Amino acid sequence: MAVRAIAAAPLLALLVTSAQQSVPPSVRYEQHVFAGGNPPPAGSLENPFRGDQRSAADGEKLFSVFNCDGCHSLGAVGGQGPSLADGRWRYGGADGAIFHSIYFGRPRGMPAFGGVLPPEAIWKLVTYLQQLAPAADLSTESW
Amino acid sequence: MTVPTMLVLLIAQGAAPGAPDDQWLMPAKDYAATRFSGLAQISAANAPRLRAAWSFSTGVLAGHEGQPLVVNKTMYVVTPYPNVLYAFDLTQDGYPLKWKYRPNVDAAAMGIACCDVVNRGAFFADGKIVYNLLDGHTVAIDAATGKEVWSTQVAEVRQGESTPMAPLVVRDRVIVGTAGGEFGVRGWVKGLDLATGRIVWTAYNAGPDAELLARPGTFRPFYDKGTDLGQTTWPPEGWKHGGAPVWGWLSYDPGLDLFYYGTGNPAPYNADQRPGDNKWATSVLARRPGDGTLVWAYQFTPADNWDYDAVQEMILADLTVKGRSRRVLVHFDKNGFAYTIDRATGEVLVAEPYVAVNWAKRVDLTTGRPDVDRTKLTGASHGSVKDICPTLEGGKNQQPAAYSPRTGLFYVPTNNMCMDYQTTPVTYLAGTPFIGLNAPYKPGPGGNLGALIAWDAGAGKKIWEIKEKYPVWSGALATAGGVVFYGTLDGWFKAVDATSGRALWKFKVGSGVVGNPITFTGPDGKQYVAVYAGIGGDWALLAGDVRSDDPADVRPPASFMPDIARHTSLGGIVWLFAL
Repeated sequence: MAVRAIAAAPLLALLVTSAQQSVPPSVRYEQHVFAGGNPPPAGSLENPFRGDQRSAADGEKLFSVFNCDGCHSLGAVGGQGPSLADGRWRYGGADGAIFHSIYFGRPRGMPAFGGVLPPEAIWKLVTYLQQLAPAADLSTESW
Repeated sequence: MTVPTMLVLLIAQGAAPGAPDDQWLMPAKDYAATRFSGLAQISAANAPRLRAAWSFSTGVLAGHEGQPLVVNKTMYVVTPYPNVLYAFDLTQDGYPLKWKYRPNVDAAAMGIACCDVVNRGAFFADGKIVYNLLDGHTVAIDAATGKEVWSTQVAEVRQGESTPMAPLVVRDRVIVGTAGGEFGVRGWVKGLDLATGRIVWTAYNAGPDAELLARPGTFRPFYDKGTDLGQTTWPPEGWKHGGAPVWGWLSYDPGLDLFYYGTGNPAPYNADQRPGDNKWATSVLARRPGDGTLVWAYQFTPADNWDYDAVQEMILADLTVKGRSRRVLVHFDKNGFAYTIDRATGEVLVAEPYVAVNWAKRVDLTTGRPDVDRTKLTGASHGSVKDICPTLEGGKNQQPAAYSPRTGLFYVPTNNMCMDYQTTPVTYLAGTPFIGLNAPYKPGPGGNLGALIAWDAGAGKKIWEIKEKYPVWSGALATAGGVVFYGTLDGWFKAVDATSGRALWKFKVGSGVVGNPITFTGPDGKQYVAVYAGIGGDWALLAGDVRSDDPADVRPPASFMPDIARHTSLGGIVWLFAL
C-alpha cells in the first residue's frame, strides 16, 4: 500500500532500538498521576536522552511520522490539541509526566501511544518537546 | 410496493413532519431543508422593535452549532460534548426545565473531533428526541419524560469515528453518518430502526458497489459509468482509509423517496498518496431511506486537492431554470461553486461561483467536471502552493443557508478567505490524525472575511451581499414576514430585509454565533426567534485566545484575524427574542 511504503523508511530508521531496554516503567496503580492530582514523591522517571540533540532531531521526525502534528501542529505550537511549545503543561512538564502523557494517553482525547511506540522512541519525543524552549518572557497579556 | 408501505408513504407526504409553522421539529424546519417559516408576526416593518425575551447558559463552553427544537410547548436544546439534552417548559414563567438528560459520553471522543466538540442538533419523531452523542452513539429520548428509550453504538471512536451531525428520520428509519475525514475513517451512513435503535443497513461512501448498496439496476449516476467506481478510483486499499465522512446535513424528497447528503474530503490531505478521482468523497449521494439503496451520485470535486468537503446542506426547491420548471437541489459547496442539480437524476443544471474561486475556471455542464487550474494543484511533491481561493474552510462550511419561496432567494452565510497549501506524507494509524497539512489563511478580495449573500439559484447569480468583518459561521433563517436572521462571529445577532438586505435590527448576544436561528409560536401566541451564542467549531482553533478555562492553553491570535478575541470569548447561551 502506497501509504505504508512512504512511512516505512523513516519508521525503521527511528525505531531500531532495543525495545527490551528501558521497558515501560512499572508504575504501580497507586503511583499513577491523575489529572489534577499530585505525583508521588518517589518513582520519578528520568529522560535518558535529556539535552541530546540527535535524540531531539529523531523526536521531531517521530512527531510528524506518528501524526502528533495532526493535532498539535507543526512545531507543536497547538491546534486541535494544546501547544506543547509554550512551557504550559496541563498534566505536568517533568520528564515522567510528559512520558506518561504519551505512553498512557490523557482523558481529553490524547491517544495512548504505549502500544505503538517503544519507550525509547517516546523518550526521543520527550527530548524534542523539552528542547522547544518557550519565550523567556511569556506574556500574560492578550486579547 | 406493499399496501402498508404505500399507506405510510401517503401519510408521510400528507402530513410531513416539519410542516407546522408554530413548531420546529427537525434541524432545517422541513425535509426540504429550507429553514423557512411561514410565521409573519415579526415583519420587516416591526423587526426594529425586537427585544430579548429570555436566555439560558448551557454551562458548556464549546462551539454551539446546531439549533433547538420546539415541540408541544417544549423547547429542546442539545449541547456540545458532553451532549446534555435540556427540555424547557414554555408554558411556565421563566421556562424552567421539565427535565435534563445527562448521558455518559466517552471523553476520548474529544480527541478525535477534528474541529471542536460540536453537536449539530436533534430530530423529533414518534414522541422521541433523536440525536447523536459525540462518542458514536445515537440515542432516542422520550420527549415527555426524558427517559432513554434506546442507545445504539453506531461509530467506533478508536477508529477515529465521531458523530457531531444531526440525524434525519424518515418514516421508521433514523439515518446517521460518521465524521473523521481527518482521521482516515471509511465514511458511511447507517439506517436505524426508530422503534428499537437496531442498525438495519450500513452503506459506505467508498469501496466496492456491494458495500455502497449500489445495487445492480438501481444505481444510475448521470455522468459516471462503470462498476465499483468507489474502489477503482483509489489506489489499492486507499478507499479503506479514504475519509468521505458525513458530518453535515441531510434532506429528503417524499415524492421521489430519496434522501440526499454530501460527503467530506478524501484522506489524507496529501493528494500524492491517493491518485484517482476518489469517489464518492466530496460528492452528493441520493439513497432510499428504507434500505439505503444508492440511486445516483455526483462528485463536485474529483481528486480533491484542497479539503473541499461537500457536506453542506442540499436544499430542495422547485425552480425555473433556463425557462423550464425543474425539481432541483441547491448546494453551496466548500469549493466555492453553487450547484443547481436535477434532484431526480443528478444532472447539473447551473454551477456558478458564489465566492472568489480560482482553483477552477468553471464547471463543464456536459461532463459535470470542474476545469481545474493546474497551477493550483497540491500534494507533497508540489511544495507550498500559494493563493488558493477559497480556503479549506470553504466558500461556505457547515453553516446552513435558508430558502424563501416568497422571494425565491437563497440566503447564504459565506467565508471570504484564500490560503496557501502545503501537504506532507502521512502514515495511517487508527485513531490518530491522518492529515499532514500546513495551510495559512488570508483575507479574500475586499478584505472582509465573510458575507451574507442572497442568491438566485435558477440563474446562478448573486442578488445582494452584506459584508461582514469575520466569516459568517451561523446558519440563516428566512420567514414569511420578509425577514432574514443570522449571527456573526463577533457576537451580533441580526435581522435584515429579505428583499433588499437592508439592516433592520441587531443585538449583542455575549459570544460569537455559530448556531442556526429558528422561529416558533409560543403558548402566549407570540412569535419567538431562538438562537445559540457560543463561538467554536473551527473557530475554537482559529480565533486565538478566546478561552479562559484552561491555563495551559493560551493561544496566540490567528494572523488573518488578530482581533476577534476583543469581541468574544467562549460560552454557550440560548437566546429567545420577540416583539
